[in-house]
Amino acid sequence: MGNPASNILSMKIATKGIFTFAGGTHPPQSKELTAESEIQRGPAVKQAAVMLSQHLGAACQPLLRKGNMVQAGQKIGDSDAFVSAPVHSPISGKVKDIALQSHTVLGRSPAIIIEAYEHNPTKRPVADKFTEEFDENKYSAEQICDAVRQAGIVGMGGAGFPTRVKIEPNPQFPKETMIINGCECEPYITCDYRIMLEWTNQIMAGIKLARKASGCSQVLIGIEDNKPEAIEVMSTVIEKSPNRDGIKVVPVKTKYPQGGERQLIQAILNKNVPTGGIPPMIGIVVLNVATAAAIAEAVVDNTPLTHRVVTVTGEAIDEPGNYYVPIGTSVEELIEFCGGVTQKSAKVIVGGPMMGIAIADLTTPITKTTGAITVLTKEQIGKAKFERQQTPCIRCGRCLEVCPEHLNPTKIAHAVKNNLLDVAESYYISGCMECGCCSYVCPANIELTGYIRTGKIFLARQKKKIPE
Amino acid sequence: MLTDLRVSCAPHISKPLSTRSVMIDVIIGLVPAVVAAGYYFRIYALILTSTCVISAVVTEWLCNKILKKPNSLDDFSAVVTGIILALSLPPSLPIWAAIIGSVFSIAIGKMVFGGLGSNIFNPAMAGRAFLTACFGMLMTSWTVPATIDTTMPKISAENTIHARTQATPLAWSKQAIKTKTGAEVVNEQFKDTFTGEVGGCLGETSAVALLLGGLYLLIRQTIAWRIPLAVLASAFVFSAIGYLTDNTAYASPLTHLTSGGMLLCAFFIATDPVTAPLTGRGMWIFGIGVGAITMLIRIVGEYPEGIMYAVLLMNAVTPLIDRLCKRIPAGGKPSA
Repeated sequence: MGNPASNILSMKIATKGIFTFAGGTHPPQSKELTAESEIQRGPAVKQAAVMLSQHLGAACQPLLRKGNMVQAGQKIGDSDAFVSAPVHSPISGKVKDIALQSHTVLGRSPAIIIEAYEHNPTKRPVADKFTEEFDENKYSAEQICDAVRQAGIVGMGGAGFPTRVKIEPNPQFPKETMIINGCECEPYITCDYRIMLEWTNQIMAGIKLARKASGCSQVLIGIEDNKPEAIEVMSTVIEKSPNRDGIKVVPVKTKYPQGGERQLIQAILNKNVPTGGIPPMIGIVVLNVATAAAIAEAVVDNTPLTHRVVTVTGEAIDEPGNYYVPIGTSVEELIEFCGGVTQKSAKVIVGGPMMGIAIADLTTPITKTTGAITVLTKEQIGKAKFERQQTPCIRCGRCLEVCPEHLNPTKIAHAVKNNLLDVAESYYISGCMECGCCSYVCPANIELTGYIRTGKIFLARQKKKIPE
Repeated sequence: MLTDLRVSCAPHISKPLSTRSVMIDVIIGLVPAVVAAGYYFRIYALILTSTCVISAVVTEWLCNKILKKPNSLDDFSAVVTGIILALSLPPSLPIWAAIIGSVFSIAIGKMVFGGLGSNIFNPAMAGRAFLTACFGMLMTSWTVPATIDTTMPKISAENTIHARTQATPLAWSKQAIKTKTGAEVVNEQFKDTFTGEVGGCLGETSAVALLLGGLYLLIRQTIAWRIPLAVLASAFVFSAIGYLTDNTAYASPLTHLTSGGMLLCAFFIATDPVTAPLTGRGMWIFGIGVGAITMLIRIVGEYPEGIMYAVLLMNAVTPLIDRLCKRIPAGGKPSA
């Protein structure tokens, strides 16, 4: 059916999604906990632990020593590597230490710990500085790319790929289409939704700046149809905006993982990113709405990425909501700020319940890619899941039905379980993006995603990519 | 404050689904067929069904004890096997034979392979094959449904031997093929095969009850829709070929689809996930194979019915089918 997005042009604001990908599932959305909660300022932190690796690519080297003074927004870590992004201090204060901190993915990993001065003004969002008349032509493409690099912007949807590398023109892979990801398919999380409603002009400015930098002719904003207000607000702002040619909103069906970039590309352009490849290979750039907002702030206001919106949610949280939080705030401090937890027994998840990472160390800091803290109760996780009871696979094939990457999760998982990594590879284990659909639907309660993730780590070790 | 923090791999929520809930769904789907069996073959049908269920469950419990394996009765798969085996037995089968069949189904058909999920052959069909091999006569005598002949003694455990027997539609169909005449008489029975008022296995006679149960399973998405469709479509095509060549010798496709074990197989036996392929393409091949082999036996072979052999043969090649029909990732094979 060619390019389905071209049919959208003639419509009025239609909020019903027509396009989607094959596979996927429908976990309960649970977004009502925080969907109506406006973005509020987060805690005035006494201490911030800024991880030196918050992105894909080379980790930063610290630019200061213990005891040095820092200003809010000062660059404190950087790297010469091409695929990397600098980190900045969110607060003014003194470097207390450069030490290992718990990182959700990397385990213990170096961080710069900054102790705040007593009178530390908390930073406000800058959304009111942007209007509908924003004109991106005041800035050159090089200027934009440079500002994005200096501000340390990375993909804020979760993967954390340095944004400069994404938007910079690359002669090997010329870019044609930019997709702005406003799907937010992960249950519970509402930070992107609130940003779209409240920072609409800022996002629009960011989109136009990114379009200019990348040279894309077409910009498609994918939003799941469970967020009709966001679809309307974004469509309206495009109508009023100058230089709006080629920018349009594409409502997509509500289905998990619609916000995966490969799935979003499949849904709105009917194209498949090669397995193991990245979207630029087929001329596409995908940016999250929060990333677009950060680009606008970096270019126009010259401010680095030091704060982000985090949804603190889950039935075990006393006052769930969306907060504008300094990067480096500990999960514990943020939970306390939201009234603490209502239960003794719980699971604290950095991210949402489908792809988030359960943490055991509550001092784990917020990073540039942390969209949410979800605290689930024992009842919600389910008794079987909480106690990890598995029954044998009955080969029902539900995992195959839901796999958005069209893999065979049960075969891969059982190969890994039996330490047959070559068999796992023959079933294309590398194609898995760990969305969790297979584990979610498995009636035998098998941790398919867990096995597959383990298999990928074993394979990486075998190929000496990471040490044991 | 938090004192009991749990960690595990994502995802942290799961669909409220378990092996037990899947099996309970199948049991619910089988209820109409059991009710129909009770209606047409009276109390003995229910006695036979409960015998099979109880001996299947007891066998699994004993096997677990002997093999020192954890109790697996709470997944209800033994109950499903018991019911399906009972529904595929002739109504006049003695109780002792039903017990032997159930014990074989569970012990040899399932537990020696390692229990649920590891068996190669459908346990109920393995048990039925064993009974057919051992007690050929008992497995091929068919009593008349009690609703046809009210003067005949009510069938019960004591007097099954005296019950009047009758040829099944498939036996007539075989006769028609041999004599090259009389297929239209078989076709006239369509109404009876649809409601179930004919001779045949306990739960196989009533097409309407099986369709009802099958529809429930399809709506609940408990079974994969590809397999029933593939089985029925391929059986339809092959019987249509016969019917169109010579309609006095070969019964019509509709007769073939509604008689014998075709519907029970399409919805409840071939769809047993453990012994069927995993991938969509594999399911098509499996279903088409079951339908084709069944029709081959019914039309060309010596036996009037071939469902059991078709399912067991296709079970045997399922690992091969799975190997041949590997899924290709959405983004194509990785280039490296």
